[in-house]
Amino acid sequence: MKGKIIFLVITIVLGISCRNSGTKGAEFVFPEADSVPLSEAEKLSPEAIEDIAKNISSPVEIANLLQMLEVPFSQDYLAASIDANKESTNFNKAMKLGILGADLGYLNMYEKTGSSLEVLSSIRKLAEDIKVGQFFDFETIKKLSQNKSNLDSLLFISIDSYEQIDNYLRSNDRGHLSALMIIGVWIEGQYLATQVVNKYPDKILRDRIGEQKIILNDLLMLITPYCNNSQEFTSLCKDLNILKDKYRDIRITYTQGEPVASEKDGGLVITQTETSVVEMTDEQLKGLIGITSEIRNRLILND
Amino acid sequence: MKRYLITISLLLSFGLLLTGQSSDPFVSKCVMNAGNDAKYLKDFRIQLGKATAQNELRYKANMSLWKNTKYRFTMCSTDDSKGQLFLSIKDDANKVVLSSYDKNSGKTYPFVDFVCNKSGIYQLNFDFTDGQQGSGVGVVSMVK
Repeated sequence: MKGKIIFLVITIVLGISCRNSGTKGAEFVFPEADSVPLSEAEKLSPEAIEDIAKNISSPVEIANLLQMLEVPFSQDYLAASIDANKESTNFNKAMKLGILGADLGYLNMYEKTGSSLEVLSSIRKLAEDIKVGQFFDFETIKKLSQNKSNLDSLLFISIDSYEQIDNYLRSNDRGHLSALMIIGVWIEGQYLATQVVNKYPDKILRDRIGEQKIILNDLLMLITPYCNNSQEFTSLCKDLNILKDKYRDIRITYTQGEPVASEKDGGLVITQTETSVVEMTDEQLKGLIGITSEIRNRLILND
Repeated sequence: MKRYLITISLLLSFGLLLTGQSSDPFVSKCVMNAGNDAKYLKDFRIQLGKATAQNELRYKANMSLWKNTKYRFTMCSTDDSKGQLFLSIKDDANKVVLSSYDKNSGKTYPFVDFVCNKSGIYQLNFDFTDGQQGSGVGVVSMVK
């Protein structure tokens, strides 16, 4: 009886908060008309940068979605051409560290241990080159990769290693490398999703691609302070702004709904009935697939 | 600034920055507690003193959550914590989407499964019950 009363209270509280929500009929729009002004991005506090860095979607989520949709694994999506020994600039090393991190997430999720060892040694080389190798527990990851029974530990240690690298770079005035790594992870995840949707046109995956509009602006906030650092940064900023233009007319709207609460195995289960809806034409999707592939393929070229 | 310092000191206390070790046994244990059907995504390591005022929850972080995904939020508190770690999530309209702590009954749920149907950036707010001092970790996983 007590349990039922708790559910009722939770449901009522959540229900009331839903009715008071200001999101009814709302639509996600980029916060400003054109590109992110440099002055805005430079005003970001370390806390805000940390928040942005942490809220970027994990590539593991894309890989998990692909598994859920029963999309078969394909080696073709990986950035196999990256040769860690041929990278000379820190820009390329950090960017490729991010790209390979996303590939590692994809391989881990599909338990492709043979290929993941190759990717791991490239990651090790790149991480050591930018002096963050101490945060990547290669031996443990290698061991866990070979022992397929412990996927969760493998995901934990791999993701945790990247988070430590990211924290370390940001707290040591190398935020530009952290931003590159994060963008590399995101671009590769986006590449994976767009390549798969091209072959397996699934509505859920298509929506996930459209919804990336939500965090694209954050990525731009992260990179904008460095856009004038070098030709490489300027070119990357230009690419991300082109991508943003492609997203501009893709609409994300929200519908209202009451959350449903229940209890299971001693935990609480909340089912959100409020939804986000993506409106994207085939032409717009095609544009995203094209530009993502163009940017990503340029980024994986060796020096 | 305060939160930044807390995070740094927490990281130091977990020995991460100093040793480069991948994980604290307490965090690993909490990750494993999330269940066999859960796939690890992220964790938030929280260490808070006793609150001077009980207004807002003190540890805040943003995270993007995506529709058609079932997330599991598992909260673990260390044995020497005075309160239990709990989580409250708000959406971008500042609306509370869920709370693992029912103030009325005083019940704290060790985990919450959230079936997300609205993609967006959500605010994760953690604190210890009654604004008590404590250390803990909130683990985010995906479940089938």
